[in-house]
Amino acid sequence: MTTLKVENLHVSVAGKEILKGLDLIVNTGEIHAIMGPNGTGKSTLSQTIMGHPAYQVTQGNIYIDGQNLAEMSVDARARAGLFLAMQYPSEIQGVTNTEFMRAAINARRPEDDQISVMSFIEKLDEKREFLAMTEEMAERYLNEGFSGGEKKRNEILQMMMIQPQIAILDEIDSGLDIDALKVVSRGVNSMRSNEFGALMITHYQRLLDYIVPDFVHVMMDGKIVKTGDANLAKKLEAEGYAGLRDELGLDVHLTDEETNSYFVED
Amino acid sequence: MVDNIAIASLPLPEFAKVRYSGWQLDELTPATENTKTTYFLKNTISGIEVSGQSTTYQHLSENMIAQGVIVMGMKQAQMVYGPLVNKLIGSVISKRADRLSAQNYEQFNTGIFVYIPDQVKFDDVLHLTLNHLAMSGQDFVARIFVCVGAHAKVTILQEMHTIGSEKTKASVVIEVLAKVGAQVTYANIDSLGEQTTAFINREVLVKDHATVDWQNAEFNDGNVVMRVASQLNGEGATSHANVIGLTIKKQTQGLVTTVLNKGRHTVGHIFQRGVILNRSTLVFNGIGQIIKGAKGSDAQQESRVLMLSRRARGDANPLLLIDENDVTAGHAASVGRVDDEQMYYLMSRGISERVARKLVIRGFMGEVLMKMPTRAAQQKVMSEIERKLQYEDD
Repeated sequence: MTTLKVENLHVSVAGKEILKGLDLIVNTGEIHAIMGPNGTGKSTLSQTIMGHPAYQVTQGNIYIDGQNLAEMSVDARARAGLFLAMQYPSEIQGVTNTEFMRAAINARRPEDDQISVMSFIEKLDEKREFLAMTEEMAERYLNEGFSGGEKKRNEILQMMMIQPQIAILDEIDSGLDIDALKVVSRGVNSMRSNEFGALMITHYQRLLDYIVPDFVHVMMDGKIVKTGDANLAKKLEAEGYAGLRDELGLDVHLTDEETNSYFVED
Repeated sequence: MVDNIAIASLPLPEFAKVRYSGWQLDELTPATENTKTTYFLKNTISGIEVSGQSTTYQHLSENMIAQGVIVMGMKQAQMVYGPLVNKLIGSVISKRADRLSAQNYEQFNTGIFVYIPDQVKFDDVLHLTLNHLAMSGQDFVARIFVCVGAHAKVTILQEMHTIGSEKTKASVVIEVLAKVGAQVTYANIDSLGEQTTAFINREVLVKDHATVDWQNAEFNDGNVVMRVASQLNGEGATSHANVIGLTIKKQTQGLVTTVLNKGRHTVGHIFQRGVILNRSTLVFNGIGQIIKGAKGSDAQQESRVLMLSRRARGDANPLLLIDENDVTAGHAASVGRVDDEQMYYLMSRGISERVARKLVIRGFMGEVLMKMPTRAAQQKVMSEIERKLQYEDD
């Protein structure tokens, strides 16, 4: 079993504190969903776990199986079992998808035991077909000229090829039509096992109809304010974040409220 | 007989911010080396390979032959099609353009001649491979002329290599004439050797509604000044001049990319990307010039340089010279570092920093890399990048 443990995490971006003491444990075999209003720090959490250089941990720790991530480079975190399906994956011309995925797989294997071209292609073909992606897409340059939906699908393809222990899926549902959402969900569900855990970040309850989570966490103002099961997401869908905030008696400004008043003043 | 005094009075071609007068490119002794070896082309690839004074490979597809395409060594072409060849040579780059081009005109003794009749179209890439034999220590003076007829559509891949390791000089002048409505993709992979100091001048004359796109990879190992120019003479003529360069060790590559908008509604875009290692120098000069009367024309340029060593020297100098009001123009230039977001993305998949860096640097030049017309050419550019990056830690 692999465990991702986040302890009292405080994170600043460009001097501004975004996460304000967040605790979370994700084990393999569990699917977690994090929901929350805009600007509450959901993506900050995912980028901080992966090690994006712009996010500064000011207090607290993150561990994977007891190893402190603070001492690990981005690539070492990935090799320790973490994966982040990104909201805005980079495009790189001149590097094909296939070459990239092979390099990623081989980075996890000793130099004298690199994956053979044949077994790599077999695996790729299998996963690619599962996600209804064309052969041509695998040969294209990394995310180059991909539509938003194709990029998301490509992130899931990479996840299925790499087979991480813990995957963070950052708004994997944004910009997807219903058919693409089904395909992507099918990919994630196919990974479900005792050796795989996931942390899904989403705005919408809809994704959770397709990938049913074991735990739902609600984030506001840089913290998890409530944890429940899949029903919590349904309740949120009905009552909105403001309803939950008021119920919990929290003194939190929701970004969109601020934005609205800002525009009024403007 | 070479009129040395008249030539010596001509100015050297201008490569701003590149000091190369000490390279003595104006003192050449043309080599007369021959070989029977074909180094690169094989398996009925369409094209020609000329090494020194020898044509060792020559093959055209049946389709090309049927349409009357002529591809031959320059010496042979001068014998067989003397009047035509002599009329064309010097028609794009004037015989007295500058000291080095003039000297090339007087002294060239090898090269390639290509004549593509009007309306000809072919899908396979025409390969022009020119090898400098650096065995005797004498210099390589070559000329290429490519004439593309009206409404013809062709893709050309030209490669230049040094065979041998004697310290020598090379002068290569390439003229391309694109007649009305012609569509030409002209890709160049220049990989002259470390001991070859070279002057390369290539220019195209683009007539009405013709399009000529350059894809240039400057992967020479020695000191090189290279000019690539598009004269947009006709109404609606278009040219994209894309150049990538990589310099290593102590070499200097000084590059000038020029687009001259003369005709109305002409479009000229310059795109340059360079990577600089060790103590080397890479200079990009981009010149976009729109003359008075070239109404509705567009001149854009973008030059970006990646410095991978503190001791390297890099320059990206955009220049826009505009004498007409009714035009659009713009430029961007930067000297920068490896893209952090791309590094993060690759490393988040477990790829080590060292490997990720290589891939990101390749991606930096990807725009031109992916436009190389054949898989083999793309592969060649990739492995050249790989080879040169090995010097990064030196």
